[in-house]
Amino acid sequence: MQRLSVIGLSHRTAPVAMRERFALSPEQTARLLARLHAGPALEEALLLSTCNRTELYAVAAPHADPADCLLQNVARVKAADAASLVPDPAVFYRRAGADAVRHLFRVAASLDSQIVGEREILGQVKRAYRLAVEARTAGFFINKLLHWAFRVGKRVQAETDLGRGSAGVAPAAVELAAHIFSSLAGKTVLLVGAGATAENAARALLRAGAGHLIVANRTLYRAEELAQQLRETRNPEPGQCGMRSAECGVNGGAPGPFSRDPTRASQRSGDAASQSSKGSGLRGAGLTRAELATDVTTEAIGLEDLAPAVMRADLVITSTASDEPVLKYEDLAPTLVRLDHPLVIIDIAVPRDVDLRIGRVPNVFLYNLDDLDRLVARNIERRLKEIPRAEAIVDYEVGRFQRWLDSREVVPTIRLLQEHFARLRTEELRQHGPAFTSTEREQLARFTEHLCGRILHGPIALLRESAETGSLSEGLAIADAIRRMFNLDALDDTDPGDEPPSEDLP
Amino acid sequence: MATLLTVLNALLPLLYLALLVDYGATFFLQRRVRGRSPWLVGCIAVHAAFLVLWTIQARRPPVANSEDILSVVALATAALYLAVELKSRDRRTGAFVLLLVFFFQYAASILLAGKSGGAEAPAEVKRSVWGGLHVMPALVAYTALGFAAVYGLLHILAQRELRGRRYGLLFDRLPPLESLGRMTWHVLLVGFVFMTISIAVSPLLFWHGQAGGAAEAVTAKVLAKIITGSVAWVLYAAAVLGRWLGKWSPVRVSWIAVIGFVVVMALIVASVLLS
Repeated sequence: MQRLSVIGLSHRTAPVAMRERFALSPEQTARLLARLHAGPALEEALLLSTCNRTELYAVAAPHADPADCLLQNVARVKAADAASLVPDPAVFYRRAGADAVRHLFRVAASLDSQIVGEREILGQVKRAYRLAVEARTAGFFINKLLHWAFRVGKRVQAETDLGRGSAGVAPAAVELAAHIFSSLAGKTVLLVGAGATAENAARALLRAGAGHLIVANRTLYRAEELAQQLRETRNPEPGQCGMRSAECGVNGGAPGPFSRDPTRASQRSGDAASQSSKGSGLRGAGLTRAELATDVTTEAIGLEDLAPAVMRADLVITSTASDEPVLKYEDLAPTLVRLDHPLVIIDIAVPRDVDLRIGRVPNVFLYNLDDLDRLVARNIERRLKEIPRAEAIVDYEVGRFQRWLDSREVVPTIRLLQEHFARLRTEELRQHGPAFTSTEREQLARFTEHLCGRILHGPIALLRESAETGSLSEGLAIADAIRRMFNLDALDDTDPGDEPPSEDLP
Repeated sequence: MATLLTVLNALLPLLYLALLVDYGATFFLQRRVRGRSPWLVGCIAVHAAFLVLWTIQARRPPVANSEDILSVVALATAALYLAVELKSRDRRTGAFVLLLVFFFQYAASILLAGKSGGAEAPAEVKRSVWGGLHVMPALVAYTALGFAAVYGLLHILAQRELRGRRYGLLFDRLPPLESLGRMTWHVLLVGFVFMTISIAVSPLLFWHGQAGGAAEAVTAKVLAKIITGSVAWVLYAAAVLGRWLGKWSPVRVSWIAVIGFVVVMALIVASVLLS
């Protein structure tokens, strides 16, 4: 295991300006892995590149330096100068052996994520593994290691509350809606305002299955533009920040429109055209056509049509730059009192868009930014309490992986093989020996001893040779094959541990 | 047989209490929220066996007295909840339903304790088909309305938490508000229909009460049943009409489900006390 190492940089060690230099698209990752496959330095390799980390997991040949491999190949793939790529080597961290395994397991369990407990990292690790398989840099060891990491990630998700509850304001809006509505399918969502805030909420609600979206804006054109974009939204390039990657944070790494700075909130909520394109526009949004509700419909209206639209809606999200309430009690109360179904209004504007008295109308559930922040804070606090349990799972699985790996060492495998054949020999002699005379039994014993020795000579020689001269993967694969062939695990009293089942790759 | 019945009668509340503790752990500790409970199936089987044995011993169906009805309603409520759990695979509301089941069966066991299995049934039940047509729909009605009351109460509590913007235990543990409201409405509707049938048949039971055909006397017990039954029926009718025609909100229906069931319980208590 000592030959496994991980070298990388993450949000913990490097600012975004540094991380973006090493962020790689799938195509770039594939090219880099192809270069590694062609070179002699690394036996096996896997590259994980997200908005918050770029890490190279490698089984290196003796005297090879994975750090140098990473630096040189990223520079080549990005057509940059390797020396200028990293002005400060301290941004890199490096782990080896069991520490590298633990690091990978913690990453897969989202314990190392910027938002602890986010679930997308496991999918990103799986995608990285798929790329390694396609590039043929994932050998026996990386294959086993990654499947084990997937199991760790799933165990943590299933057995702890680490990923429970929303950790961002837009997902918190969906979470609130989920506590009120049994399903968003067929529900009508009214978005008031056409800025990044509204976009984020739209994405979250579409993911949750909202069937109809009405977009209201002071400028009809902007409302139509947003409605159109929602119909035509695309997947981002993996590796680029966007709402797609929760590991990048709530808003894809870009400054959040839900900032507590009221000036920023007002600016961001009002004008789609004034926003930077990086990370905020729907072109960088996180939804494919397949992910949209199959029959989602949208419409655009002006603010003069707001009152009737509110009555048609099940969920209203307001985020405008208006200094005055956009939803006024006097305009809406006479019709709202006749509501026979819940109406959820989430006002994430500062200053607020909704007259507070509307919240007193029966069947109206009114929430503001503080309410969402409290929910997020509560969820994050709960996630933090789950960290020790998750870490305990990681520690346990690291130990099991180590034991499994040790069981694939050459010496114990040879020992078990010899014991297995000795046992078979003894049992057969005991069973068939009475049919022979004592002299014949002695001859039979010598004969079977020589026969077993000759049969075992080939496998034992292969095992020793692979340990001395072969690659780590080759040695593990041979030992594993022999253990499976002769069912030696059943005879091993050191509890090598169950291997996890194979996973379907994304 | 009598000894076995005595043991089962004492055991049943304890079994439901144990189940209640288990489901309480599900609600408060979030353990085994999803899935099904084999223990609930076992408990229902024991309860059903108890009622079958009681029927054999008493030579009559267990619908003659309030205590019989309490036990049957407890079983029916548990079985209805099992159906809900099998469909939804969600055990979060089980503690609340089983609390009701436990109290019904506890009351029934207390009242049934010491009663001989050979007690004779009241004449109107043993000999009149109208008794069956009155009692059976009433049992279904009590079960459904009890269910509606439990879910209605949960609906009201969840509504208060959500409107109050409190993110506590109920916020975490309960199903969505819409689900609670829908469940309350559906079972209330079923309960109302069967209650209507039962009430519609009751005058015929009243007039054909005895084998000789003479009308039954208006005792205090009968009067109490008429008054409380009428009040409950009016409440539920208002909820049904209000929801259908007046577009009453789900929470208003839930309030009526709870209040109406309190009235129904008053009917049962009055019936027991005046027996």
